[in-house]
Amino acid sequence: MSAGRIHPPVIPPQDRIKGFDPYVANLNDRTALYESTRCFMCFDAPCISGCPTRINIPEFIYRIKTGNYRGAAKVIRESNVFGGECGYVCPVERLCEVRCIRNNLNDEPVAIGLLQRFAYEKEKQKGLVKFDQAKRKNKKVAVVGAGPSGMSAAYELALKGYDVTVFDANPAPGGLLLYGILPWKVAWSVPENEVRNILEYGVEFTHKRVNDLSPLLKEYAAVFIGIGSTVCARCRIAGEDLPGVFLAEDFLCSVAKSIKGECKAPDLKGKRVAVVGGGDTALDAACASIRLGAAKVFLLYRRSVKEMPSVAYSRNQAREEGVEFMFLTAPTKVKGGKKVEGMECVRMELGPKDASGRSGIKPMEGSDFTLDVECVIMAVGQEPDQGTLKSFGVAVKNGLVKVDDNYATSLKGVFAGGDAVNGGDTVVEAAAEGKKAAAAIDKYLSGGK
Amino acid sequence: MVTKPDISVKLCGCELENPFMLSSAPPTCTGEMICNAFEHGWGGAVTKTIKPDKTPVYDLDNRFGVMGFEDKQMVVFENIEEVTKRKVGEWVRDIKDIKKKFPEKVLIGSLMAEPIEDDWENLARTISEAGVDMLELNFGCPHGMPERGMGAFCGQRPDLITKLTKAAKRGSSVPVMVKLTPNVTDITFMAKTASDSGADAISAINTVLGLIGVNLDTFEPIPTVDGRSTFGGMSGPGMKPIGVRCVAQIAQAVNIPVSGIGGISDWRDAVEYMLVGASNVQVCTSVMWRGYRIIGDFVDGLSRYLGDKGFSSVNEIVGLTLPKLTSWSALNKNWSVVASINKDVCIKCGLCHVACRDGGYQAINFKQGEAAEVVDEKCDACSLCYNLCPAQPGCITWKRCP
Repeated sequence: MSAGRIHPPVIPPQDRIKGFDPYVANLNDRTALYESTRCFMCFDAPCISGCPTRINIPEFIYRIKTGNYRGAAKVIRESNVFGGECGYVCPVERLCEVRCIRNNLNDEPVAIGLLQRFAYEKEKQKGLVKFDQAKRKNKKVAVVGAGPSGMSAAYELALKGYDVTVFDANPAPGGLLLYGILPWKVAWSVPENEVRNILEYGVEFTHKRVNDLSPLLKEYAAVFIGIGSTVCARCRIAGEDLPGVFLAEDFLCSVAKSIKGECKAPDLKGKRVAVVGGGDTALDAACASIRLGAAKVFLLYRRSVKEMPSVAYSRNQAREEGVEFMFLTAPTKVKGGKKVEGMECVRMELGPKDASGRSGIKPMEGSDFTLDVECVIMAVGQEPDQGTLKSFGVAVKNGLVKVDDNYATSLKGVFAGGDAVNGGDTVVEAAAEGKKAAAAIDKYLSGGK
Repeated sequence: MVTKPDISVKLCGCELENPFMLSSAPPTCTGEMICNAFEHGWGGAVTKTIKPDKTPVYDLDNRFGVMGFEDKQMVVFENIEEVTKRKVGEWVRDIKDIKKKFPEKVLIGSLMAEPIEDDWENLARTISEAGVDMLELNFGCPHGMPERGMGAFCGQRPDLITKLTKAAKRGSSVPVMVKLTPNVTDITFMAKTASDSGADAISAINTVLGLIGVNLDTFEPIPTVDGRSTFGGMSGPGMKPIGVRCVAQIAQAVNIPVSGIGGISDWRDAVEYMLVGASNVQVCTSVMWRGYRIIGDFVDGLSRYLGDKGFSSVNEIVGLTLPKLTSWSALNKNWSVVASINKDVCIKCGLCHVACRDGGYQAINFKQGEAAEVVDEKCDACSLCYNLCPAQPGCITWKRCP
């Protein structure tokens, strides 16, 4: 049995931080063959249950093994229309790979993510795999938001024969795939390609911000809301409004736009930057800051590394690129008059676990100190735009769109999925919810319950 | 949309939706198993071999063994299992049930009996009347059964092939296929004998007689049955070259369809069998290893291959390679090439050098840290380096001699 997985070459940190390009090499025919032979093709494989879109992972890997690359891509795409993007951005170490039976042999898991990328790269050479579309039903469905959940719902509905129009405030469909995820994880050509593939099924895109659902409900038989979770939360500390304090999502969006040449990036050259937060967005902001030429980047997280929601892979990347982690540290005040002149912080200590199993925390008395920084990026969570949800008139719970088991909102004929419902999860979760909501919409419009 | 290539094939008038059948073996032990296989998408199945109720059959405990190679767990698989233990009546019920549930699938009844003509005739009558589409005569099983005058015992005796094929044909109301053993001096002679005796098709090969291994600690042969063992039937990937050779030889020798069997692990192996003349194939070991589910890739992989190559039907590839297969004497002795090493691809392992030094013509120079170099004048183009180079494809190629 082949043990030990393929670790493809990576561009060393000191070189890759000079730009925003992908830095992990893809598998080639030889390494993909080796890696695919490591898959046991387990029965009722646990890796599949780790995938929100339930890709038949052993089957696509088996097809790579037999040289049927396009057949492998088909297996992926029939479960997940963003299979290429997800191959690159999925936190596989906590979804599929963590469940790989190889782990039970004290071996490394099969590199499912890398193999999925390989299948996509082979697939795109001849154009993405297309599926038969049902006869047109002459029923119209509107999708609000062109991110992964909205586009995935639009695709599934178009496959079933619906006329779908997607509305988005951005000029091009793709949502956070194009404005939130920076290209060192995945080249933008991947989501662009996958979004174009969806439009090729006849899905219409309209560049328009939707604030009111009632005109849509007159024209369309059903509406899907996939507006994501775009408004950044704040720390609610003094000095948060000073110039030099950024909100992470906005920051990443402006970095994305600057790479596309649409605007200038925030000037961090030579500056000392503090990023506040422990999730993937915080790590992305930290690594982006490094690439913008920051002299020093601190990442402050009020709990310990064990509680960090980000995956180890991203943490290792940040560490390699020079980000300094400050655990059990919380900001209390951003100092300065006209600009940031430091951040007051306090050390935290972990207390007993609460009902949710998370350790409680409290400030350590007398542990205050000032961190010498000139920029602060807040990455302490996002939520959907509450104003928009209010004008939509859908019921909201804890700031999120409230849905039932069928992704139906409180309004008849209105469904929702993705970050606006789950509060901010992965691309693959958003794609899965869009797909499931599309099935529910089809049932609803077919007269089922 | 591009039209999908047609992968359906015909075998003696029976339409197979795809050329992939399960061979007569453990995966076709019961009607329930065959139905499950059909649900997964197999085009046809040959039942585990049915024998007269008076013939006793035993299954030994621990009747399989494997030979791995380096990190590969199984390259050759051995079995010393006998035919079905189930009664004819049970099979008749199962056959009716399978055909009722899957009328469009091809079901072939495999038969074996002692070399008594009446027994073959009667069994052929009973099973064909139960509703199978075809019969397959098992003249191939090389272990257990031959010691009692059955299986390969019959397949190694042309007179028995003639007598028993004719007997089965007398009893059968459906086409009859003869399954041959490779454990003979000349399989084409056996195939011609079967064809001349009225066989409607040939299937080959049954397993190759061998001994899969010996336990170095206990000195016991494998698979060990209470401390001892016997020779058994080899199958699996390592047996493919023998099967492909036999099928090519048979396809060149007879004018009846050939069903290819032996070491078919994926769609590519199936394509090879079809290129040398098999009109369909049968699979067992790889299904035992990973389950019926592998059929998905067989069908998808074959369809894409045909589409990529511009074929509209799988029938177009059957026998395509046969005109390129000839005798050694007929090969071109004047075709002259030498090996050529691509310096940019060479990984400087020195394996070609040592192989050529110790197993060839001392034609490859090598110094640690530098790319290997062929001395054209010394190279005899044996292809040892070409085949063992770990940086293939792309490192060692053929260069035509001026």
